[in-house]
Amino acid sequence: MTRLLNEILATDALTVVFQPVVETIGERLQLHMLECLTRGPSDTNAGRADVMFEYVRRKRVEPVVDRACILVGLHAAATLPGNPHLSFNTHASTLGRDPDFPAVLVAMADDVGIDPTRITIEIIEHAHGWDGVTFDRALRNLRSLGARIALDDVGLGHSNYQMMIDTHPQYLKIDRYFVHGAHADLDRRAVLDSIAQLGLRLGARVVAEGVEETRDLMPLTDAGIDLAQGYLFAKPLTAPELIASGWLQPLPATPLDANARPLAACSA
Amino acid sequence: MAHILIVDDEETILFAMGQYIMAQGCTVDTARELEEAQALLSNIRYHLVVADLRLSGTHGSEGLDLVGMVRECCPSTRVIVLTAYGSAEMQQEALRRGADAVLHKSMPLADVADAAIKLLGCAA
Repeated sequence: MTRLLNEILATDALTVVFQPVVETIGERLQLHMLECLTRGPSDTNAGRADVMFEYVRRKRVEPVVDRACILVGLHAAATLPGNPHLSFNTHASTLGRDPDFPAVLVAMADDVGIDPTRITIEIIEHAHGWDGVTFDRALRNLRSLGARIALDDVGLGHSNYQMMIDTHPQYLKIDRYFVHGAHADLDRRAVLDSIAQLGLRLGARVVAEGVEETRDLMPLTDAGIDLAQGYLFAKPLTAPELIASGWLQPLPATPLDANARPLAACSA
Repeated sequence: MAHILIVDDEETILFAMGQYIMAQGCTVDTARELEEAQALLSNIRYHLVVADLRLSGTHGSEGLDLVGMVRECCPSTRVIVLTAYGSAEMQQEALRRGADAVLHKSMPLADVADAAIKLLGCAA
């Protein structure tokens, strides 16, 4: 094994941050799910997530690194109160090359007391080059165990119509490219409307990624997209930061309660 | 400030050359293997790449692969290939693939840095 890969896989080398996916309910926001994001050792090139995962793909070691990332993510998530739903990025190639992945995922989750029904597997980097039969079987197994499937980066590259049909996702995550600036761009709004309609027909909920400006919420609302993620709501947070943020506290029963998070607060 | 990537599988060379070039006021990243360098190049635009011709990979001329990748993904990036063993044919191949210079690894660091600065001046 090479040195950088050893450093990535070393005990305690990976760190986890959580970014909330929020649901707009009327004028209020509620945590829907936490995306668990992994960072490599900060004193190496793998400290940048984009560099680490590009390296991992070039070394073709996605299955072993995905397992390691999910393991540390599950352990970090187990410390959070409130049993939030969790999503974990997983390469399509991992699902297509690691037939034991679903069973290992459940075993790892069981070890830390997390029910598989709280887990969403977010499929990333869908370029082909793996076994379609193993991939399909992995998705079936994950579903039968209660996990949900999300398709990441919808609209870009290999995250295309074929993948939507092949994976039957419960979530379509629209890439930030189509979200940022949508308030002033009719073409982007057309794409958002189209994906929202597609989500309805496919039975998938749509998540807008990379929401950074309040004014980009309007085209999402117009399209009927009520799940969103981005710096407007929360940057990726460590477990202590997340607990302190208040996102893990449930919305009060009455929407008129003064403690509810108003949507307008996001414009601050 | 110029951003430079140094690629070599010898830690001592990475350290020494990195320190020397940083002392010239440049920002330096280092990579010890082909895939690590490729991952950096996919995400960061460098002004200059200084790469050893032979990394500890499979076919002994990974530096040539790197030259090709740089030329494809960031044509304005300058490339210096360092070699301790390369034949004249190998050096010509590096130049054919788009390397701006092929230097011998025994060359003093000061001379490598001079070549780098000259190239960066051309790129500016």
